Amino acid sequence: MRFVSVLLVSILVLLMAGAVLADEGQTVYGEGVSAPDTMLVSELLTNPDQYVGKTVRVKGTAVGVCAHRGCWISIASDTEGETVRVKVKDGVIVFPPEIMGDMVVAEGVWTANELTMEQTKEVCAAQAKEEGKEFDEKEVSTCMTMYQISGTGAVVASK
Amino acid sequence: MEMRTFRKWCRTFHRELGFLAVGLTLVYAISGIAINHAHHWDANYERTVERFTIEAPGTGPTAEIEPVVLERLAIEVPIKSTWRAGETEFQVFLEGGGFDVNLATGEVVRHGFSKRPLLFDLNFMHLNSGKAPWTGIADVYGGMLIVMALTGIFLVRGRKGLSGRGGVLMALGFLLPIVFAVVSRGGG
Repeated sequence: MRFVSVLLVSILVLLMAGAVLADEGQTVYGEGVSAPDTMLVSELLTNPDQYVGKTVRVKGTAVGVCAHRGCWISIASDTEGETVRVKVKDGVIVFPPEIMGDMVVAEGVWTANELTMEQTKEVCAAQAKEEGKEFDEKEVSTCMTMYQISGTGAVVASK
Repeated sequence: MEMRTFRKWCRTFHRELGFLAVGLTLVYAISGIAINHAHHWDANYERTVERFTIEAPGTGPTAEIEPVVLERLAIEVPIKSTWRAGETEFQVFLEGGGFDVNLATGEVVRHGFSKRPLLFDLNFMHLNSGKAPWTGIADVYGGMLIVMALTGIFLVRGRKGLSGRGGVLMALGFLLPIVFAVVSRGGG
């Protein structure tokens, strides 16, 4: 029986050593990236409907990370002020706040979500609040389509 | 194998694995409670927010504004990157935090974050954020728990064992998740 205990402890110690000695270079999240080409975020946002349902790979600085569960990141576009959101399944990939400001290559399926009028108003109200602006729901007359990447993986290069 | 010998083996396995599992069980149990309430608090990071004002840098071209903002913020640590998020919004990213600057008013929000001591590491292991190496450890631990659960059934005989109170408690342990699964599925 001592042999069994010693064997189990040895296995655990070896596995822990492996964890400590794991590669500390660039960090891979989820399935990483495999799509052949990286496209410009601006191109994606200029013709969003053209890419719906397709696997896309984008590159840019991480300028926003979900503070609650690390379940999304915002990637800065090559055009000032524009960002694209990469949403991942809760718990499957967890983006830490440390990647804010780092260069990220992310991959996933480009999706379009048609919002209802009520949802559109909620999103607009939240955006106005974030930007410190007044919000009048009467100004919202058309439903919004939210585009985002349903992320399957990402690679982050720390600076 | 005789029942007496079988029980002896069960006791031995249960005892040895039980000692081995104490540390890992605490890792998963403590982290489990912390993560279970992720919607109430950030189980991994302590966050700070500090507000102050600098002389408004103005909303000119980014190339002109950036050095002005950085000079007025008087940052003494290396800067990772900057981002013009909008006409009046400028972000500066540092290790462990950053600044959100309102270019029109000069209002600054400094965000900071740091890993919660111990709890961050427990959650890292629980969520298997490190993947491959820890997957092996977690699998071995899962196997240990199965062996401990099954051998535990046969440790005690009589009224307090499987044919008595032990059996009732075990049935309760099965019933709880089954009822929950049925109810939650029924509720859609």
